[in-house]
Amino acid sequence: MAVKFFGQFLVEQGLVSREALISAIELQDQKNLKLGEMAVAMGYITQADIEKAHNAQMSKDMRLGDLLVEMGFLTLTQLNDVITRQKNTHLYIGEALVQIGALTSENLQKHLADFKADQAQYVSDGIALPPGVANSKIWEMTADLTYKMITRVLDLQFRPGKCALTETLAPNFMMAAMDFNGDVEARYLISVSEGLQKTIAKAILREESVDGEPAEVLEDTVMEFVNVVCGNVAAKASQMGVIMNINPPVTIRPPAAGLPVPEGHTALCFPIHIEDGDKMELILLIKK
Amino acid sequence: MKKVLVVDDSLSVARQLEKIISESGDFTCVGHAKNGAEAIKMNHSENPDIICMDMNMPGMDGLTALRTLSVMDKDVKVVMVTSLGGVGDKFTEALKLGAKNVISKPFETDNVLRILREL
Repeated sequence: MAVKFFGQFLVEQGLVSREALISAIELQDQKNLKLGEMAVAMGYITQADIEKAHNAQMSKDMRLGDLLVEMGFLTLTQLNDVITRQKNTHLYIGEALVQIGALTSENLQKHLADFKADQAQYVSDGIALPPGVANSKIWEMTADLTYKMITRVLDLQFRPGKCALTETLAPNFMMAAMDFNGDVEARYLISVSEGLQKTIAKAILREESVDGEPAEVLEDTVMEFVNVVCGNVAAKASQMGVIMNINPPVTIRPPAAGLPVPEGHTALCFPIHIEDGDKMELILLIKK
Repeated sequence: MKKVLVVDDSLSVARQLEKIISESGDFTCVGHAKNGAEAIKMNHSENPDIICMDMNMPGMDGLTALRTLSVMDKDVKVVMVTSLGGVGDKFTEALKLGAKNVISKPFETDNVLRILREL
């Protein structure tokens, strides 16, 4: 039901052992050269150049490849050659499992097809953001995955509204938030009405009624929904080559006047219209 | 009946897991720890057969606790429960540190019980 990578799917389904997966990953680590290692292997740079670039990385927030170009160790054409060679020679986890004898080639094809069918529910449907938003693919994926989890985890019928930039976060009964850091920095917020909080609690706790549940538990269920969505966003982002770390969720009680968008941030608001009139919004506070 | 300790800072996840475990007929839930440090203490006092532990918790996180438990208690079987299961590096790190499996969130009852029964 969650976003997975192929090795995880195989272990979860009992198709390969955890020991076999670890061995296959160790084989990948040996065979798949990192960018610097590949550039050295192709004769473009020396180990000493890599060390200089690594030292420079301590004071510059740049990827190694871009830094090697900026420092004049690689040309842009050479960098593209290195990246192409990395892609063309990459040993994928399925192939590694075949090489160590944990899977046959025939089984690999069958399990890959099953894996693709399992993950088809998380293929993006496409969402339009206002023009000029950086890393738009990541935020489109984040909104898309949120919609899919509203359907699959909360079992709610809804209609997504048009995404717009906003200067103020509109008031609502409560908000649950989680911070992303890594290659991108942002705060993910879900804002819900009181009725919707109970609906989420019923779905998360798998109970017919949540009357009498303490407020602390009801709030926790919204935080848990945010945690599930953000963890799966981080998983999808890693498949896109983007590192997104998550932090424990928090709750916010917005004042009646709403909350101003913090300085240095862009706020994207995705209205989510629930069928019985309950109010829900996804807000992404993206650090500029 | 095998004894299971649930470790999660989220009350709602702990409730979900405790319900699945206690209704299974094969397992009994011996307690709920809210972070890694509590898990280590309760592993000592409750002596569970299995620990279902969240990865991302305030205070001592799940991977740090897993590292300690793997050294202190070779018999206990730890399964990580996380929304980050699909992040390949996190999944692999958990297995390398000694986790027997990783349950991704959102989880289904059948999948949780299948993984616990295979231990």
